[in-house]
Amino acid sequence: MKNRIICTLPLVVSVLVMLQYVLVPNFREFTPLDQNAPTNVWLWFMGFFALAFAAWNVAAVFSKRAHTQLRRRAPLLTVVFLLVLLFDFATLKTGWLPQPFVPWPDAILNAIIRDRAILLTSLGHSLRLLFTGYAIGVVLGIITGVAAGWSVKARYWVQPLTKLFGSIPPVTWLPIILILAGSLFGGAVFLIALAVWYPVTATTMNGVLNVPKSTFEAASTFGVSKPGMIFKVAIPASSPFIFQGLTQGMSIACTALLIAEMMGVEAGLGWYINWQRGWAEFAGMYGAVVIIAVTFFAVNAVLGVARRRALRWKEGGA
Amino acid sequence: MTGTIEIKHLNKTFDDEFCAIEDLSLTIAAGEFVSIVGTSGCGKSTLLRTIAGLEAPTGGEILCGGKPVHGTSPDRGLMFQEHALFPWLTVRKNVIFALKASGRYGANGGSVGALLETAGLAEFADAYPHQLSGGMRQRAALIRSLAVSPDVLLLDEPLGALDSFTRMVLQDEIIRLWQARGNTMVLITHDVDEAIYLSNRIIVMAPRPGRIAEIIDVPMGYPRNRGTSDFADLRKRLLKRLDFAAEVEQEYYL
Repeated sequence: MKNRIICTLPLVVSVLVMLQYVLVPNFREFTPLDQNAPTNVWLWFMGFFALAFAAWNVAAVFSKRAHTQLRRRAPLLTVVFLLVLLFDFATLKTGWLPQPFVPWPDAILNAIIRDRAILLTSLGHSLRLLFTGYAIGVVLGIITGVAAGWSVKARYWVQPLTKLFGSIPPVTWLPIILILAGSLFGGAVFLIALAVWYPVTATTMNGVLNVPKSTFEAASTFGVSKPGMIFKVAIPASSPFIFQGLTQGMSIACTALLIAEMMGVEAGLGWYINWQRGWAEFAGMYGAVVIIAVTFFAVNAVLGVARRRALRWKEGGA
Repeated sequence: MTGTIEIKHLNKTFDDEFCAIEDLSLTIAAGEFVSIVGTSGCGKSTLLRTIAGLEAPTGGEILCGGKPVHGTSPDRGLMFQEHALFPWLTVRKNVIFALKASGRYGANGGSVGALLETAGLAEFADAYPHQLSGGMRQRAALIRSLAVSPDVLLLDEPLGALDSFTRMVLQDEIIRLWQARGNTMVLITHDVDEAIYLSNRIIVMAPRPGRIAEIIDVPMGYPRNRGTSDFADLRKRLLKRLDFAAEVEQEYYL
């Protein structure tokens, strides 16, 4: 019985959000021309979740698996939607949070819909920049990392470089790069690649150094060639370490991307946030923040899936 | 003839400091099963690694099948104490990797399934090494080494980390595979019983500098019985040679 009640809580709270939105008076009057005048978009949005939770509850009656999953996630979902309820209350309903700097969910949703074309272009630009820089950084990082793990001579030269760049936050170089680079896009790619290069190099080197000697010796008794030793032994053997670098690198790359876009590159979501702020379009600003959060979450989730797939052979999983 | 090993006046020194092996000469016939025993630091591991081609001699030379040893070769397989399977590959793919790397996939690739089957590994063929027990891992490593059909298989304490029951089962497995294939076997072991149970000849090495102290023939047919008096006499003789006979003998039977 108690479990059943907990399972219905997300549904109850999402309905509460809709009721509050419709029934509680707003903190001020809106003219129909007001860009932020409340619309039904928020009701549609919340209604979608309410329906989904209702359907999930029905499924939970028939399926044990749906019930376990819902029961596990229900407390977290309830708190999330309670926070949404509180957020709407503190903005649209009471104006407690400083206005107009903190817009309410309906205004943010409408800003995203209104600016969808430019947001989509900005998203595309951000992703292109992120992945170009990331790919270059990863490839170079694996090359220098394997070289440094493999040969003492390479390690002698690479290690001071990683120590130097490891202690300086990569965005420190941004002003210099933006001055020196021929194009802003090229400069930002360079910055992101540099930011990714360091962790990938460090972890790859560590990985190759940690491969047991007997692994290479066994391979050599089978007559594995030199390139084979690198591509078929050293790299797969150190892949758990390399993936650690890929994950660290992605989070640094995301940071570097946004800073580059906010400071110089005149496109992308970072630039959009700054641009909206300049026009005091706070709803649009928050909209871009939401899109960034969702995008980075998705990118990291994809990386996580790739990691788990690639490291299936590892004891205890990836 | 392939599979013979001739070691001529072998010297091996590390960092010009201590002499791991000094003026060691030994000939091993093709198809022979030879064990090397000795206390730690007697250079037996160095000797095996030098035969494998992982270490270069400081002086003297090693001929395998009449040809001088320079570096490693699929003709001389090596099996390690810590299995050295590739953890990112399944058992089957480990075997296929070895076959492809040695260029013998064309000749031996078709028999991988049958080979795994005879070694009792069929149901573990698609398991990763970390999913196997210690004994199964060594079994897989043995099969991987033999899959490339080496003339010589060098075994560096392959059963040293296993419990005694698993060890006895694998000793029989090694005998069976060796008799079926007829390749030369060189085994390093700390276990005197293992040496007697498996080999045609036992080389006793002495340390500082590493040298041959005695070569003992084992004039028994296979399969051998660990309980016979011949077996016990040989054990006594070996332990005495290794300076363990007097006080440790009693403990040994525990």
